[in-house]
Order: sequence, then C-alpha cells, then structure tokens
Amino acid sequence: MPAMKWKLLWCAALLPMVAAIIDPQMLHAQSASPPDFTGVWGIYRGGPGSDPKFAPPAPSPLVLKPEYDKPYQAKRAEQSAAAQRGEQLDNSSARCIPYGVPTMMSIAIYPVEFIQTPKQVTIISEAFSEVRRVYLDRPQAKIDDVAPGYYGRSVGHFEGDTLVVDTVGIKPAVSGYRGIPHSPQMRVTERIRMVSPDILHDQITIEDPVVLEKPMTYTVAFKRMAGDYEMVEFVCDNNREYVDEKGVVRLKLHDK
Amino acid sequence: MKILQAARAKVHCAALVAAGIFGAASPVLAHHSFTMFDMTKRLTLVGTITSFEWTNPHAYIEIDVPDDKGAVKHWSIELGSPSILMQSGWKFNSIKAGDKLTLIVNPMKSGQAGGFLSTATLPDGRVLSNGPRQEPPPAPTQK
Repeated sequence: MPAMKWKLLWCAALLPMVAAIIDPQMLHAQSASPPDFTGVWGIYRGGPGSDPKFAPPAPSPLVLKPEYDKPYQAKRAEQSAAAQRGEQLDNSSARCIPYGVPTMMSIAIYPVEFIQTPKQVTIISEAFSEVRRVYLDRPQAKIDDVAPGYYGRSVGHFEGDTLVVDTVGIKPAVSGYRGIPHSPQMRVTERIRMVSPDILHDQITIEDPVVLEKPMTYTVAFKRMAGDYEMVEFVCDNNREYVDEKGVVRLKLHDK
Repeated sequence: MKILQAARAKVHCAALVAAGIFGAASPVLAHHSFTMFDMTKRLTLVGTITSFEWTNPHAYIEIDVPDDKGAVKHWSIELGSPSILMQSGWKFNSIKAGDKLTLIVNPMKSGQAGGFLSTATLPDGRVLSNGPRQEPPPAPTQK
C-alpha cells in the first residue's frame, strides 16, 4: 500500500479520539446561541425509579467560623429540643415571609419558571410567587452599592452551555440555606445548565468571608414539567399559623 | 342538623408505626414543619363540611363530626397548598359545604380538634391524598 494511503488511514483512525477529548462545552461555546431555559421546571431529587446521574450531587461540607458555628449549633439544638416537645420555634417562613435568594430555588416540590430573553432571565418560584431577575451581560455593582433585600442584584452571562449568575445584596435577615446565618458580604454564584434536554441543574455556591470558613456548594436539580404546565398563584392570605409569646408556632383552629 | 345526625360518624384513633408510613418521603409543606401534628397516629373523621378554603399557604377543611350519640364536634383540618393539592388531583371545587366526607388525619399533639390531612374520601368515592410525597433533600456534612 502506498505511503499516502497509510497516512490517510491513520488520520481517519485518530479522528474519533480527537473528537472524544474535545470538551462538549467548548463546542457549545463556539455555537452562536446559548441554550434556552424557558419553561417550567419541577424539583428533581432523584429517589426510587430515577436516574442517579441526574440526581443532585451531595452538598459540600458546611464549615462556619467558630464564632458563628457555636450559636448556629445552639440554635439547631434548641429547635431539635422543641421538636421533641412537639413544638416548632418561630421562623420567617411560618410568618409567610418569602425565602429570597438562594433558598427560593428549592422549596418543597414547588416548580420554578424560567423566562429567558436576550437581555434577561426571569425566575419565578411558585411558592410565595417569588420573582428574581438576572440581567445578562451587565457588570455587577459593588456589594455596598446594592440595597439589601430578598433577591439582591443578579447579573449573568453564558459560558458555553452554562448560565453563570452572580448575586449580591441579600440582607442578613433573609433566611439562609439550612438556616445558616450570613453577612451583607455574602455572594451567591450559580452555574445553571441543562444536563439533559429535560433536566436542569443549578449549582449554587455561597461565599461569605465573614461567616463561612470556606465557600459551600449545593445543587438543585429540576425536571421539566410535563405538558403545558400553568403556574399556580400563591398569595399568602390565609396564614393560620401564628407565633405565641413564647416564640412557638401555633395553629389557629376554627370552632365552626 | 338532620344531615349531621344522619352522618353516623365514627371517630377512632389508630397508632401506626411511623417508619412504615412516613419513611424516607414526607408529605409536603412550604412554610412550617409537621411538629405540631402527631405523624405516628391517624384518626378517621366522618362528618359534614362546613367550609372548604382553597387558600395559601394552606387549604383547610372545616368539618362537623358527630359522635355515636349525635353530639357534634368541630374540626379544622390543614391541607397542603392549592399547588401541592393540584398535583394529586384536587380542584378548588372538589368539595363544598354540605358534602359528607371521610377524612384520615394526623391529629394535633396538643389534643385540640385539629389535624393534618392524610387522605379524603369524596362523596363520589374518589380518594385524594394530601399531595405527592417528597424525597428529603441531601444534607451537607458538618465540618
């Protein structure tokens, strides 16, 4: 066989290997348009019958600085002791106060809706009808220049198939992930991507140089809701739970 | 009152093993825990609805439950939110005042006449649960 033919055969054999080592994300980064997350997504926690590769990975360890860890653990112990007595202690959600960023991304099994336009991604949680807006390709403000609130200020950009969202300006009174405290310096970074056409992962990293020894990361997985799911309104106008003088959540009962 | 007396309601408690019924998955609440309810017990209430509140953060069934002697006791039963309930077949008009229902509830630990719905048997025989079960989210390790 002539030498030229051998060279061609070698090239043909190498092509699949070259293709295999090329990062699919890089290929996507070169494509003209980013993925469209528009749609309604339900919480996907895996469990029996589900595909484990789409379930959210385990969160990273939670390491608070000692001065915050001690009261945090004490509070958890207090909550646990109250639960043993059949009581729930006061908390913002029992008062129907919204969850804010990032907790609103994962409330029980309530779906979230993504509405994506070239300049903005709007995320609506069915629970409490919470709304957050991610402004695309805009610079982030300094933390001290953002009015502290429940949703802060979010900006985002696409890195290949991944929407990277940066959020600052969450006020400390907003309930944190698993009740951990946070300072005004908290920064939330999300990497949102579709791991399959119907599964979306939101990898959430919380950085707080005041409260956390190191950043902690957890992932919320979503599955596209079947059919043309229509979001249900959620206005908290009949909250029968109240907090008594001892700080315990009680339920108002009617007598007729 | 005739309707109430005709209901011939029964109220009885049955202690159930928690692990068997409420294992890995839990019913769904958005804004408070189940602490105030005894999730290891189930109570069957048969009575007549006085109102059905399709509201947030929870729906409620108000129900009059007569005992074997005809004495009526009123109960407030908490359900999930409309969103959660719709995922298990409920509609805002699934039931109405005057309907006779059989409810299985987790009673309040305080002994008050309140509870958290487990299932409801509707007048047309359908049995609706209080929303789908929820898998617990993975928890981070501490340090």
